[in-house]
Amino acid sequence: MKLHRIAAVAERVLRQLWHDRRVLAFMLLLPALAMILFGYSFSGDIKGVRVAFVDEDRTDLTASILESLEKDDALAIRIMAPGQDPESLLLDGGYQAVIRIPPKFTSLYYAHFAMGVATSAQGRIDLALDESDPQIAAAVQKSLADALMDLGEGGPVDVQVRDLYGVEVRFIDSFAPAIMGMVVAMISTVLTLLSIVREKVDGTFARVWVSPVRRAEFILGYVLAFGLVALVQSVVVLTIGTFVFHIVVNGSILWAFLCVILFAVGSVGLGTLLSALAQTESQAIVFFPLVMLPSVLLSGMMWPVQAIPAILRPLSYLVPLTYSNRVLRAVMVKGLAPWQEPLGFGGILAFVVLTVVAASLVLRQRGRSAE
Amino acid sequence: MSERGEPVFAAASLVKTFGALRAVDGLSMAIAPGEIYGLVGPSGSGKTTLIRMLCGLTTPTGGEARLLGHAMPRERRAVEDRFGYMPQERAVYRDLSVRENLLFFGQIYGMDRRRISARTGELLAMMSLADHVTQRADRLSGGEKQRLSLACTLIHEADALLLDEPTIGLDPALRAEFWDHFRGLCDRGRTILVSTHYLHEADRCLRVGLMQRGRLAAEGTPRELRDVAADRVGRSVPDMEDVFLVLTGSRGGER
Repeated sequence: MKLHRIAAVAERVLRQLWHDRRVLAFMLLLPALAMILFGYSFSGDIKGVRVAFVDEDRTDLTASILESLEKDDALAIRIMAPGQDPESLLLDGGYQAVIRIPPKFTSLYYAHFAMGVATSAQGRIDLALDESDPQIAAAVQKSLADALMDLGEGGPVDVQVRDLYGVEVRFIDSFAPAIMGMVVAMISTVLTLLSIVREKVDGTFARVWVSPVRRAEFILGYVLAFGLVALVQSVVVLTIGTFVFHIVVNGSILWAFLCVILFAVGSVGLGTLLSALAQTESQAIVFFPLVMLPSVLLSGMMWPVQAIPAILRPLSYLVPLTYSNRVLRAVMVKGLAPWQEPLGFGGILAFVVLTVVAASLVLRQRGRSAE
Repeated sequence: MSERGEPVFAAASLVKTFGALRAVDGLSMAIAPGEIYGLVGPSGSGKTTLIRMLCGLTTPTGGEARLLGHAMPRERRAVEDRFGYMPQERAVYRDLSVRENLLFFGQIYGMDRRRISARTGELLAMMSLADHVTQRADRLSGGEKQRLSLACTLIHEADALLLDEPTIGLDPALRAEFWDHFRGLCDRGRTILVSTHYLHEADRCLRVGLMQRGRLAAEGTPRELRDVAADRVGRSVPDMEDVFLVLTGSRGGER
């Protein structure tokens, strides 16, 4: 094995990428675009639900409820004059919810405390909801419940959602690692596959094959080039994640980069392996959905693997991105070291070894028998 | 260079079958150092398969292929940097420039950048590509691409050259230019095995093997082949195409 030959192959692959400005732009834009599109589409945080607030009681207590509601990003509160009908506000006013505090709410509320649990006297709030979007309805209900809890005579009750690792994990925080994996898998697999098929079609593969370049050197050259590309793509995802979506990375970025690069190595192996099954570039294109669909649907990227029907769930464990998601989330969200997520890390290592070994066997076969 | 007296390229009862097709059918040949040997025959006569077996790309079904004294593909590591192969496809990286193509093929043969740069200068001058050095290969004309492909084969100054249809698709003037290059390389001690389906090009070779259906139908210098053909038909046969038809009894061949 000679380093200079590995470097020669890597340098050549990088030069080819550099010259193909469209592919180059695609490689850099894809992670950015994926992060922005998925981030905005799936960020999961509902913001600015239009809510009308009708206060018929007007006391310090109701003022503090209003204050709590106004602090909540999920709601955009508009204070209405007393006497307005909640239903017409909902139907004609364009509001998604109406919160109405009826007269005597405050006195009933305190009466409850004064008389203890034995009384049925209780402050009541009317909540009119547009139920056509259950997620928005749920968000409003939660916000209101939070506001009421904040009052809590006898000590406020804190209902802030707590994550096991001490911070509130938003959907986007655990989504960024998945996007990193997906983008790297897509680019490394697809470009390796296309590049090697093109070498076969053009005859350069035969030229390289009769040269002193060894199979392993050839694959490692690709690995080196796409490892570098994966690193750049991860930086793009993290930069956009941090500056646009304020994602929280609790763990070590270096471990995350290491895992992404390992994943890129496996993806190069997979691309090489698939190149054995395609003789032309158009045949190679057939593999794209075959690689991408299971990755997006079954890897736990969009929804947890546990949410996948039992009959399909075993397939999830055949999808490399499943392991990448596990380990990258463990490292970036939970702040663990890769080996503290043994299934994910082990899965990636197995992916690397299996694909690279299989790829070098396949390359030999093709090289010898190709006509 | 192979040892004294030992052929640079040799085949002994060489066979390659693809299913029912016998692409190369018990062929034996030996090409001595310094020769320019033309493998001449129509498309599909087995020239490419023979060349691929000699450079280790295809494993023979039977018999033996030897390159510089080593059995191929088994011992190809022993000779891998001592021969150059020009495939029938133009076999250059279309998205790399002329210079970058030569750089890559130089690098994989272990040449340092200074030597590659010097050698690139020589080859580009020889191939009249000096004006295209930064141009991408896919923007070159067909003939220029072919010249680049030959330059990539020559970059590491190998002793033995296997050129598979290097003149295919070129205009007559460029074909003549290519043959001048081959002659020049041969004069500088290289041994060349070159295949062509242009029967007239046989006259440019020192020795010629006429291939038909995986076998050598006849072998010799162009003059010897003409003499044998003349003996068979009882009159002189000046045209190489007629020589081929007489010696193979076929109507194959292209002008």
